[in-house]
Formats: sequence, structure tokens, C-alpha cells
Amino acid sequence: MPGSRAYLWFIGPAIILMVLILLLPIGIAGALSFTDYSLGNTSANFVGTENYERIFTRTTYEKMFGATFRYVFVVVPLTVLLGLGAALLIHSLTRFGDLYKTIYFLPVMAALIAMAIVWEFAFHPTIGIINATLERGCGTWLEAWDWYAAGCDRTFPLWLTDRDYAIWTVAFIGVWQGFGFNMVLYLAGLTSIPRTLYDAADMDGAQSGWERFRLVTWPMLGPTTVFVVTISFIRSFQVFDTVEAFYPQGGGPSKSVYVMMFAIYEKAIQQNLMGIGAAITVVFLGFVMFLTILQRWLVERRTHYV
Amino acid sequence: MSKIVLSGIGKSFGDTPVLRGIDLTVEAGQFVTLVGPSGCGKSTLLRILAGLEAADTGTVMIGDADVTRTRPADRNLAMVFQSYALYPHLTVAENMMTPLKLRDLGLAGRLPVVGPIFARAEHLRLKKQVNRTAATLKIEALLDRKPGQLSGGQRQRAALGRAMVRNPVAFLMDEPLSNLDAALRVHMRAELSELHRRLQTTFVYVTHDQAEALTMSDQMAVMMNGQILQYGRPAHVYSAPASLEVAKFVGSPAINILPGEINGTGGLSVMGKALAPDTQLARQPVSVGIRPEHLTLDPDGPFKGVIRHRENLGSDIFLHVQIAGLERPVILRSHPKVLAGTGLEEEVTFSALVDEVHVFGADGLRLRVARPSLVEVA
Repeated sequence: MPGSRAYLWFIGPAIILMVLILLLPIGIAGALSFTDYSLGNTSANFVGTENYERIFTRTTYEKMFGATFRYVFVVVPLTVLLGLGAALLIHSLTRFGDLYKTIYFLPVMAALIAMAIVWEFAFHPTIGIINATLERGCGTWLEAWDWYAAGCDRTFPLWLTDRDYAIWTVAFIGVWQGFGFNMVLYLAGLTSIPRTLYDAADMDGAQSGWERFRLVTWPMLGPTTVFVVTISFIRSFQVFDTVEAFYPQGGGPSKSVYVMMFAIYEKAIQQNLMGIGAAITVVFLGFVMFLTILQRWLVERRTHYV
Repeated sequence: MSKIVLSGIGKSFGDTPVLRGIDLTVEAGQFVTLVGPSGCGKSTLLRILAGLEAADTGTVMIGDADVTRTRPADRNLAMVFQSYALYPHLTVAENMMTPLKLRDLGLAGRLPVVGPIFARAEHLRLKKQVNRTAATLKIEALLDRKPGQLSGGQRQRAALGRAMVRNPVAFLMDEPLSNLDAALRVHMRAELSELHRRLQTTFVYVTHDQAEALTMSDQMAVMMNGQILQYGRPAHVYSAPASLEVAKFVGSPAINILPGEINGTGGLSVMGKALAPDTQLARQPVSVGIRPEHLTLDPDGPFKGVIRHRENLGSDIFLHVQIAGLERPVILRSHPKVLAGTGLEEEVTFSALVDEVHVFGADGLRLRVARPSLVEVA
């Protein structure tokens, strides 16, 4: 039927929803980032790019980027590698695979805020299990390691409250919490590799497990890896709950754990500075957008085999 | 060139026996087909020969070497898979290069990027080998493409190329044509036979399509329920099936099975009509197999039936004739010209070429009939 408007009824609902719950809020956040708006005010002043200038000049935000990137570049490689390793090990099991899957996936399902409290106890400098365990090693060959000897001499690190250790400790918890998720994605990827490719590799003379991995497993996991890396990046950029649980005031020792999400929360919600909060959000959106586009490009260009 | 001997091969998956004591000898340079319905164990047998699966019992010998416990990589066999199993991330040339690299290059030469620099001469030699094989298969134009960009037939050729490139002891093929369309399949049949003649290498070919077995092989083994029912030249398997099951499986359209009996004097009769006076067999009920081409329309023939269906193939016409007292219609072959003017539901009479009937006992095994005494009974 030429001239029919029926198509509007098909695409209309999707477009309306997308505009209402995605595009409009992004637009509003973008607009707010150029103002000094506070929640409850009836009006706001246009401040131009002042908010953005602040983000890229003030030391607080320098620390914010530092903490975020430290966290991201520790957590992403480790969760991806550990996820792949765990998936390969579990995939090679004939029994108990489901048990291990459940164990490694538990941290993903657990509420991180509750787990953070447990970790806080574990890392406690005097009553925590971690330093208590380390102290037991004092007086043994472990003291040959300078760092260990220094710990025995004085005290082992205050993991969560020492600014040299805090971000790495939080990153460690992020790895612990995150790699089970990647493991599940990799397991799905592994099951979709056709068995005959391994048969072909055997016939072609692949002798060792490493050769089979190089020839079949790793390339066939290419699309999974691109997805896993992207989702890990986005998830690590989004880290918030551990930071909020450990350091409800101000982002850790000397703001060394002042990650982006926490900065948005602190500025926009706690201090009611919507303008600067929106500006950080837009920068954050930029990162995530860049990663997503990179992923699409990689999937289409490099790993789309069929 | 070495002959392959499988002896006493048994294999079970859990409680289900898949192969029950298979003995098979493949002479060097022969084209041997393992044919049977799905689930008969033919693919498992091939995988045991390849080394991809371990047999529970029995031995695999290639030449004078016992390879039962040898890894697939060390048996120097090549396999073409039903799904082709080409590495999708590699080009056709790289796919064909893979078996050469894994076998002939050291660790350094296999490294990506720097490998070709370390072992330059080697790489050039292997490349030449790939190009030579590609020329044989006429796939030079496809060398730089990835499997995803190829059609089914081209993928088939690339998979063949990967198998051929390193001159294996034997080619193992697991239903390589079943993913192709009908016309291409017939074409590839001829091409594979031609390839076998040229390479003079042993081919072990698994298929469920009896037509492929009949048209291509030097020897065919008909398998059912984990056993080889008959092993011999295709013409012989077709013209003298060892059992009722083989007779039913080989040939298309399928052979007609009619109930019959041997009477006290050794005379063979089918559905009460005497066919042969003296078969020198004891009195017993038998099944008589008659192929469609051995039934002829004959106004004076002993059998009578109604045409239920006709399949005109142009060169031949197959009539499905319902005989009173039989469940399934009998199929007979004729020429379209002979049948001009004969319509459905018409009654026809026909006779059988008595020299060509197959007689099977109650246990399903072929009964040796004293041929010379058979005379056509009109």
C-alpha cells in the first residue's frame, strides 16, 4: 500500500521508548554539563566549558583519572586472562565442572557491597586474616624477600588505608569479583567451537595442547575475546560499590581510589553540583562509546570469519 | 604405499556396542568404501583408523607397523571431514600450509611473522608444494580467500587440498559429499575417482549413499549394526548380495522382496507361481529378491498387479505395481516408450528373469541356487 503510514506503528513504540529513556537523558546531561545547575534550583547559569576545563586541569580530577585507569588496566587484563584460564581448565574436566563453575561464579552473583564488608574485615590491619596469616611466615625463609622482612620488622601494609596499596587492593577485589563472569562467557565460546576442528588439527599434526590452542581455540575465541575485553572495560570503568563501601567519605587515602563513578556520585548527589557531575558523566560516556565503537569495528573487521 | 589391516576392532560407547569385532584389509592403492545406514558404526571405524578414537579391542596396522596406540599426527593419514573442518580464520593457502608447517618446520620456523625469515628456504619449499597441489585441484584462484567466502564445492576442494598437500599414506573421507547439492555431488564423484586414479593412493571413504559406494570404489564394505555384512567389489555386492539386509540396502530403487518357498522336490515358487523346477535346496520358506530391472512387462507373465504410481525419469520409468496379497507395491523398470498409453490403476502382467533372482533363507542369508537348472517359466 503506497502512502500507508502503517510503518509508524511498527517503529513508533521503539523510537519513543529509546528517545524517552536513552537519548533524552543523555541530551539533558549534555546540556546540564554546561551549567552550574543544582537539584532543587529553578534556574541555572550557563557557564560554558568551565566544568570541562576543571575536569582536565584540577588535581582532584587528575587523581580521578589516575585511579580509574590504574583500576581498569589492572582489572581488565587479569579478569580476561583468569577467566580464559579458568574456562579452559573447567572445559577440560569430565567431572565436577559444574561445581567449579558455581564456585567461580559465586562472587559475580554475590552483592558486592556485602562482600566488601567481608573483605574489609579480612584486610583489617590487626584483626584481619590476611595480615595475621602473613605474620605467621615471619622468621621463615620468606624473610629473604625484603618486602616481607620489612613487614615483619614493623607491620604489614594497611591494605585499604595506605595510599600506596589502596587502589591495588580494590583492584584485587575487582578481579576476584569479575573473572567468574568472563569465565562463563569464555565457556560459552568454548562450547561453540566445532569438535571437528580439533580432529582436523590432530590429523594435521598438532601434537601438544599449546599447538591446538594456537591453531584452533584462540582464533575461534576471537569474537568472544573482543566481547569479553569490551565488557570488562565497561564494567571496570563502572566500579563504584567497593569504593563506596570502603570509603564513603572522599575516595580513599589521598583520593587514591577516587574512581569516576564515585566522583559522579560525590559531585552530583552528595554535593549537589549537577553541572560538574553531568560533565564527568559525559566524559565517562565518551570512554564507553569509544570502546563500544572499537569493539564493533574489531568484530566486523578482524574476527568475523563467516 | 602400505596396506591397512584392521583386526578384531570392537568399540562401545557406554553400554552400547558400536563395533563388534571388525576385520578389514585395505590393499595399498585401493579405493575402499564403508557404506551403511546412519548409526552403523562406519564413521567410528574410520575415526579409529585415523586415531581420533581409541578402539576397545583389536589392532590397527599400517604397513608393517602396529599403530593402535599411535597418535593421529604420527600415522601420516589425511582426513576430509563432512563439515570440511577448514580453519575459518586462515586463508585457503594458510589452511593448506598448516599440516606442512606442523610437520616439517621447527619451533622457530613456525613463529608468526619472523618464522618465514628464520626458515626462508623451508617456507619457499612449502609454498611451492601448496601451489602445486592447488594447481592439481584447480583452486589457485581461491588461495587468498577465507573459507567463509567460498561455496560448498570450493570448500570441499580446499579441504581436499589440505589433505593432499603432504602426500599421506592414505586419505580418509567421512561423507565428504553429503553437504553438496545433488548435481555437484555427481560431478565430484567422477572427480574423486579421477583423483584416485591419478594419485594411486589408498582411499578409505565413508558414506551412507550406496550410489557413491557403487560408482567410486574398488571394494565396498556394507556395514550394519557394527558389523561388516559383505566386503567385495561393488558389482559383486550388487549382483550377489550376501544377505537380505545387504540386498535391501544396495540398489536404488530398492530390491523387491517377495515371499516364496522351496518345495519337496527343490522347486522354487514365488507367491504360488513356480519359478524354477530344481534348486537343489531343502524344503523351506524363503524370501526372494528381484531387482526392478529384472522384472519385465509380459502379457503372458505369471504375476499380475495394478499400477499405483509411475516415476518417469525420461530414460527409464519405474512402475509401482500393487500385487494382491502383498503389503508393499513391487517396483519394476521399463522404458517410457513401452508404457505409452498405460495409465494408473490399470492391470498389468509381468514376469521375472529367473537367472537374476536372489534367494534368501529364513535367517536372511543368501542361499546358493543351482543356476544352470534355472529356466524361465513363462
